[in-house]
Amino acid sequence: MQQRNGTAVRAEGLVKHYKDGDETVEAVRGVDLEVSAGEIFGFLGPNGAGKSTTVRMLTTLLTITDGRAEVLGTDVAAEPDAVRRRIGVALQEAGLDPRQTGRELLVLHGQLYGFDKARAAARAEELLALVGLEQAAGRVTKGYSGGMQRRLDLAAALVHEPEVLFLDEPTTGLDPASRLTVWDEVRRINGRGTTVFLTTQYLEEADQLCDRLAIIDDGRIVREGTPANLKAELSERRGGEDVSLDDVFLDATGRSRDRAAGEVQEVGA
Amino acid sequence: MSATLTLGMRSLREALRQPDALFMTMFIPIFFLVVNTGQAAEVFPSDSTGFLEGQGYGAFQLPITLLLAASFGMGALFLVEEIEGGYFDKLRAMPIPRYSMVLGRLVAEAAKGVFLASLIVLLALPFGITIASGPLGFVLLVLLTTSWGVVYAGFMQLIALKTRSAAATNSGGLIFFPLLFLTPNFVPREMLAPPMEVAATINPVTYLMEALRSLILTDLDWAKILPGFAVVAVLGAIMLALNVRMIKGYD
Repeated sequence: MQQRNGTAVRAEGLVKHYKDGDETVEAVRGVDLEVSAGEIFGFLGPNGAGKSTTVRMLTTLLTITDGRAEVLGTDVAAEPDAVRRRIGVALQEAGLDPRQTGRELLVLHGQLYGFDKARAAARAEELLALVGLEQAAGRVTKGYSGGMQRRLDLAAALVHEPEVLFLDEPTTGLDPASRLTVWDEVRRINGRGTTVFLTTQYLEEADQLCDRLAIIDDGRIVREGTPANLKAELSERRGGEDVSLDDVFLDATGRSRDRAAGEVQEVGA
Repeated sequence: MSATLTLGMRSLREALRQPDALFMTMFIPIFFLVVNTGQAAEVFPSDSTGFLEGQGYGAFQLPITLLLAASFGMGALFLVEEIEGGYFDKLRAMPIPRYSMVLGRLVAEAAKGVFLASLIVLLALPFGITIASGPLGFVLLVLLTTSWGVVYAGFMQLIALKTRSAAATNSGGLIFFPLLFLTPNFVPREMLAPPMEVAATINPVTYLMEALRSLILTDLDWAKILPGFAVVAVLGAIMLALNVRMIKGYD
């Protein structure tokens, strides 16, 4: 899965503008990113900072207004299908077909990635076991709990064994036990060599899971580095004071704790 | 093409899991057939009404029932639900042809159309309605009704993709009703008052209805049948082009 220069995702001057009536909304204002193959990269930011918009551009779901993005060396805008073959995507809402069973959904995805029916069925069983949904596999997904939906969504994103997995707030709204299950799953997937690009609004999650992270605010990257380095840098600036990742976040986004409440949360699993 | 068929099978499974939607699709058109026939059958007795070609008034009304049934597809509403729930984006993130995402649902609409049109005709037979154009006519009747259902579902899908709103998509379905009633739905076109006759003549649904009606009331009359298929072909080509354009530019 390693690209020749070891870069899984690269963005240069990524810009996204929307038209909202007569106004132009600048959702992303020139994002530069580089994610190494094999790492778990965290993408943090307050609500509306541009996290999901950036992910949607990188995953071919949104057109790019300006700048350039590559996934595994392939230009996202020029060859979207080539990118789609090599990435897995689990978006903010667990996007599931409510009228299919868990098993049918995974078989369908396998077939859409070109597997024959037998291979798609075998892969579906593997993934159901992986995410612990064998018992619920014959039920329509509409009746799944939030945690089960997330796990199935994750399984659906893994059907074709993607080299880069984009997870957009995969644990939002989950209870602590389900959150831990998803964390374990992300570690296991990454342990098998898959690069993970993870957006989250939970600082604890980023601290626990990510090798490196970037903080985006108002459409621009305001900090980038490993969690340890980011904390060390802030601590040094503050004369050796003990700091946490939420201090880094608040410093980077210029927010007070009161203002940040509800935008980014510190949660323990 | 395999992605289209795979998505078509999924949409069909989806429809089968929502049998109440199929029931409503059948109920309202049959209700119209019963009510319209009940109200006007005495006015147009079969033995003295030339345009009925010896059949009852129910046979004259059957095309409206078929067109209504074909126009009550739920596919576009399922699509909106999928857009709102995020599954549509999941599909868009896959390396499948964009047109498959449009055509997949239409394949299912076609299968549903064949089933519904056949069932309605079969239900009509015990009430003395016959298909005068014979077995080939029956096949053409089902094919034309189904094709209209697919075209109509395609236009509804277009509204769904554009608005991403269930309310707007639902309202879009109401567009059909004026078109249906600006046709010779109670009497042949030449018996309409002049302004209505002009309106019916420029309404493409008229040719569809006249084609269906000729298949029910007379032997194969290609002069009436072919314009119906031509209307469906032209509208179908426009619908497909617009859908593919819409989905390629979908952001």
